[in-house]
Amino acid sequence: MIEAKNLTFSYGKGKQVLHGLNFTVEDGEIFGFLGPNGSGKSTTQKILTGILKGHGGRVSLFEQDISMAHMQDFFQKIGVLFEFPYLYANLSAVDNLKYFSSFYPTEQLRDIGEVLEKLEFKPDFLKKPVSSYSKGMRQRVSMARALISNPKLLFLDEPTSGLDPTGAVLFRKIIEEERKKGTTIFLTTHNMLDADLLCDRVAFITNGGIVALDTPKRLKEKNNNHRIRINYLYQGKREEKTIETPELKRGIPFLHDEIISIHSEEPTLEDMFIQYTGRGLS
Amino acid sequence: MWKNNEESNNYACMNRCLTRNTSETQSSWKNFCSLLKKDCQVMIAGKFFLVAFGSLLLYTMFINFGYINFMNDKLYNVYLYDPQDTQTESSELLYSVDSLEELNNILATDTSGVGIDASSGTPNIILYFGSEKADNHRADYALSLLHSDIRYTAKTVGTNTMELKQRKEISCELLFIEIVAVGFLGVASVLFKEKQMGVIRVHAVLPFKRSLFILSKIVVFLLSDLIFATLMTVFNVGFPDTIYILPAILVQTTILSLIMALMGFGCTMLLNDFKQFSLAYLIIAIFVTTPVFLSANTSIKIAWIDWNPFYQVYMGLKNAYFGISTTNPIYYVFSVCGIAVLFMIVEIIFHKEMGKED
Repeated sequence: MIEAKNLTFSYGKGKQVLHGLNFTVEDGEIFGFLGPNGSGKSTTQKILTGILKGHGGRVSLFEQDISMAHMQDFFQKIGVLFEFPYLYANLSAVDNLKYFSSFYPTEQLRDIGEVLEKLEFKPDFLKKPVSSYSKGMRQRVSMARALISNPKLLFLDEPTSGLDPTGAVLFRKIIEEERKKGTTIFLTTHNMLDADLLCDRVAFITNGGIVALDTPKRLKEKNNNHRIRINYLYQGKREEKTIETPELKRGIPFLHDEIISIHSEEPTLEDMFIQYTGRGLS
Repeated sequence: MWKNNEESNNYACMNRCLTRNTSETQSSWKNFCSLLKKDCQVMIAGKFFLVAFGSLLLYTMFINFGYINFMNDKLYNVYLYDPQDTQTESSELLYSVDSLEELNNILATDTSGVGIDASSGTPNIILYFGSEKADNHRADYALSLLHSDIRYTAKTVGTNTMELKQRKEISCELLFIEIVAVGFLGVASVLFKEKQMGVIRVHAVLPFKRSLFILSKIVVFLLSDLIFATLMTVFNVGFPDTIYILPAILVQTTILSLIMALMGFGCTMLLNDFKQFSLAYLIIAIFVTTPVFLSANTSIKIAWIDWNPFYQVYMGLKNAYFGISTTNPIYYVFSVCGIAVLFMIVEIIFHKEMGKED
């Protein structure tokens, strides 16, 4: 679906922000693109969505070089959720969606009411102006805007930002449903939980270069120290011990009265990111 | 056989291209209508049309109840002290005073008035010093009132009455100011809202031609300006005269409206907020309107004024109001080329704005 070969970009002389990115995104895959602010994440997404021109290297989407693509056809096939809910504040959710969907062929469109219902949008607010909505509701309308055209390729930038935990779970469920439908998803996020739960593969980008690219599971496994931390009670005292995983084969290798908890010391995706890039995800 | 296959392939390709072009035209038209509808909604929500209608009422009231009455007022009061009645043919517009002291007292309160002391038999002018040109004019006017038998036979050009001439002049000036202000500030007020809401970035990933976004904005403002020009002329010049002069007025309004809307669009994209824009507007308004009005309406002549495009457009509009159509093809060629170049510049700036960081 997406192929970037030696992708470079600079904002004028001496301001190179991308230094030869190489990655592919398969059809129906959820691909996570993780990086701190200023790492080149947004620039890459803008090149992939056809907003920024003048890149170096080769970028293909839908098996066609983006520089050669007929942009109107291209934009008909993609949906973009921006980091912030960009909507006309004076128009209602329905009017916003009617307006944005009017640029797509009618046969391609989903029903506005149905999409909003799926996103659990409060029906009372359907006809009220967006300026009266909470951030979560605006984010729901933005998501509806991205989904309304039934895109084959979906770019999501911080999809769960501004949502309460229930909303975040709902959005993750909808993203999963889109993948099941065969939609390819390019996910840009700071949220490690989203990346871990949703992504088939993730790429860590820093200073305009990809420093690691693999499935979240493999990235964590590669750097696993194979240790287990056990909290237990023995003779009325609470204690904690860390053992090597193979030691568990013969059961708990020390005396105890009661096991309180067992934790693997597997690193998190954020630990991995810091390890690879030397920077946090802020 | 091979040749036949090639021909049929060519026909098929041509058909595909034609079908694609037709469907693209249809979809472009549909997209343009969507943009136009949305722009109208945003302008209605921003009370733009209400403000334009308010300005129209205000201008109309000013012309009918203020300007015309003011222009019909006498220029200066002239007071005559002539104890021996030496001035036998003096006008009824003169006010007689009984003493030199009374004359001095009156002139102390009516400082723009002119006094004539004819006590010696020869009229002497007494006035408060202003500017040389104006003082000469006041003195000439005062002396002319001593010879009311002389009939001035100034040649009358055209069929306009004094009042109609005044109405046309002021309507032209106010229409010019309105378009310069509304075309420029109006586009800015709509676009800054869209910039703040971030929706311009959403348009960067929508399947439509970017030029349609600019086109829809300038078409809305053009239509608004054309309606404004028509109503302004009908209300203040009168319906019978408007019928003859309106087509030429609308042509000049179109040129000015397109230039101002495109300039407003470009500046809005380049500048960060409305404060910066207001400053830019002030500079443009000063450089556009001040030299134009000075050169067109006073005796001041600025050497480079013929090179100021707004002066040419203003003169085109003024001539249109007085029934003289601008027929110089160079003027129209320059106008069309200027608008086309502005459109292209705005398109480049708009593309850059869409690619900006969040």
